[in-house]
Amino acid sequence: MKNDPSLLEVLRQQGVSRRGFLKFCAATASLMALPPGMAPVIAKALEQAHRPSVIWLSFQECTGCTESLTRSHAPTIEGLIFDAISLDYHHTLQAASGSAAEEARMAAMKANKGEYLLVVDGSIPTADPGYSTIAGISNLEMLREVAADAAAIIAVGTCAAFGGLPHAKPNPTGAVAVSDIITDKPIINVSGCPPIPVVITGVLAHFLTFGTLPKLDHLGRPLAFYGNNIHDRCYRRPFYERGQFAESFDDEGAKKGWCLYKLGCKGPVTYNACATTKWNNGTSFPIESGHGCLGCSEPNFWDLGGFYNALSEPSVNTGNAAAFGLVAGAAVGAASGIMARKEKDNTSHAHQKVTVNDLKRGESQ
Amino acid sequence: MSKATLERGINALKEQIDTPTAAFFSSCVNCGLCAHACLFYTETCDPAKTPIHKLEPMRRLWEQEYTLTGRIRKWLGLGKPITDDELEQWSELAYQNCTLCGRCSMVCPVGNDITYMIRKLREGLSAAGHAPDGLIGATTRAVKLGSPMGVTLKALEAQAKHVKEDSGLDIPFDVEGTEYMVLLSSMEIINYPEYLQAIAKIFDQAKKTWTISSEAFEATNSGIQIGTSDIAAELVQRVVDAAEKLKVQTVISPECGHAYMAIRWEGPNLIGRPFTFRVQHILEVLDELREQGLLQVEGVEDGRLTFHDPCQLVRRGGVIEQPRNLMRLVVDNFVEMKDHGKMNWCCGAGGGVSAIEEAEEVRLKAFNRKKKQLSKLHVDGLVTACANCRIQIEEGLEENDMDMPVIGLTEILANHLVEKETGGGSSA
Repeated sequence: MKNDPSLLEVLRQQGVSRRGFLKFCAATASLMALPPGMAPVIAKALEQAHRPSVIWLSFQECTGCTESLTRSHAPTIEGLIFDAISLDYHHTLQAASGSAAEEARMAAMKANKGEYLLVVDGSIPTADPGYSTIAGISNLEMLREVAADAAAIIAVGTCAAFGGLPHAKPNPTGAVAVSDIITDKPIINVSGCPPIPVVITGVLAHFLTFGTLPKLDHLGRPLAFYGNNIHDRCYRRPFYERGQFAESFDDEGAKKGWCLYKLGCKGPVTYNACATTKWNNGTSFPIESGHGCLGCSEPNFWDLGGFYNALSEPSVNTGNAAAFGLVAGAAVGAASGIMARKEKDNTSHAHQKVTVNDLKRGESQ
Repeated sequence: MSKATLERGINALKEQIDTPTAAFFSSCVNCGLCAHACLFYTETCDPAKTPIHKLEPMRRLWEQEYTLTGRIRKWLGLGKPITDDELEQWSELAYQNCTLCGRCSMVCPVGNDITYMIRKLREGLSAAGHAPDGLIGATTRAVKLGSPMGVTLKALEAQAKHVKEDSGLDIPFDVEGTEYMVLLSSMEIINYPEYLQAIAKIFDQAKKTWTISSEAFEATNSGIQIGTSDIAAELVQRVVDAAEKLKVQTVISPECGHAYMAIRWEGPNLIGRPFTFRVQHILEVLDELREQGLLQVEGVEDGRLTFHDPCQLVRRGGVIEQPRNLMRLVVDNFVEMKDHGKMNWCCGAGGGVSAIEEAEEVRLKAFNRKKKQLSKLHVDGLVTACANCRIQIEEGLEENDMDMPVIGLTEILANHLVEKETGGGSSA
């Protein structure tokens, strides 16, 4: 591993300038909500870091997470950082196959014992190990074996983080999340179906810089990316505030870009960075493309009552209450305006002409 | 009738709070940008001198009297009443530490006209008897003697005599039906009588008829500076009466910033009707003469010169291009300060500050801003168009051992006028 080129060298070979690299470090620092002063620290750590060994296990999954992370857009520094890790085992991407592939995994585990990162995508079936096996080894067994000597585990995608689609009712395979099986290792959940690429590079950069995992929320997700919900950061939020909603996908409101809440948008209960970092090289995110958020980074998002059902429908007739509120508010406003005007009139009547003799206080007040 | 009282002050303040004021107070986002636009803040770094903070008693009064929550709080006994001590404290901020220069209003991101409100705050402070003694004295002299510095008609006539001896030109008094009626500031009559001679020469060359009213020659309006509209209106009325009596077309405000603002912008509002004559600043008149080819000059100044914009001309009056046109007539090496035109830094003595004795220290501290601007330019001299700026800059330069002449723009133009008889006859 000592002869491996450092990250910076790898990036240089791929034509990334130092300026571009520092920009990436600054962006990572700000994305991770670290103070700006941390950017040079990240740069220094990444410059010297040797390629960390990464073993990537794919279980009950659709390969969408891998696609998201490797093919989301033309080479960017995020992509190149990802290339720069020593991806020693990834059965979608590796050239080796059969027993050679499994030997590579064993060799990497042995050479980097206790230091390698384990990335998992896909959930683990527990009902019958036969539902998903690799090289004749059940997912459960392989996870336990590789996790034993890993430094940390990154559960990529909602399947690995929370069970995801395989876990949806009635969950025939008995699918569970990584954290349901492994309890003695630091696990970081990068949820999403699929997750945003920059989140995983951010987590990697943090791990390489500080040797620790970033701050996590109660579901084990990095707070820096999952700290705000989509709704709070949504550019359509002002329409929500004004009560302007699209009622169907082809009405005036939809054309005008109004809020999609009534069409089932799960933005208010979904914590992710889509609305700020966006997708496809910052092009847009689902709501910007006209569809409500599915809530894919939340546990059990498949079972949240239908993608096109609004989160909650008011149970009583709010029309009268709103009208009453409006009238009462207007009345209070008008009354206070009248009071202010009357007060102002009083002051004009009370005005006494000021002459130069009135500019000083009287001696015997 | 009665003397100043707290009640009168508070009533005056309440009377001053109008729709814009309410809008301004409710839209302030406490960003603090106004602090960095104020030379009293930048030169002292004292947060109390943040412009919007100078309005705190007025803001509280607005909240207590004109907002619903404020009224409820007051009704519940939770409101903090405005006290005399407080007004005394704010008197120092609103009079000594503000020249009404208007720079804060320019930078406010939500468009609050802070200067407009400080002018209003002064109404309340003066009615409550918290105006500084220096300004009370000046205002009293302005009303009783006709000049804040106590300059009488006799003194002016003596200066007119000097002009006659020097240049052979008559200074016309009380001539009816002239095109222009010239106002003067006391500062000019006493300290810079060259101005009087300069306009006499310029009008003589341009063949314009002009006069001075013996009843209203004073341009400065202490009523505006102290912030008492009743007095300010009385002083404006004197000028209006004189101009209408003499049936002049245009009244010319002299090289003085506040005088211009008072008569040109506040004037008609104060007396409650439009004027029957035009009001122009002398620089506007001179630039018009230049455009009409009536300002014939020759030769240029030797040195490298800059121009100090009087705040009231640029920010409140929009007289920005005129002085530059005029400067270029007679100055080859004309350089601008970094912040010039509508964002120029104040000299530190306007808005009545120069009349307040206790303000001397802070006034000279505020001058440091101008000093920094000037030391970057390496100029040989400074030109301005306000006698008050001029005297402050001269004093500040002397205090800082900076040797540099300060001259009025009208005067410098008069020095370059094409001499009579040489240009091909001035028979008329």
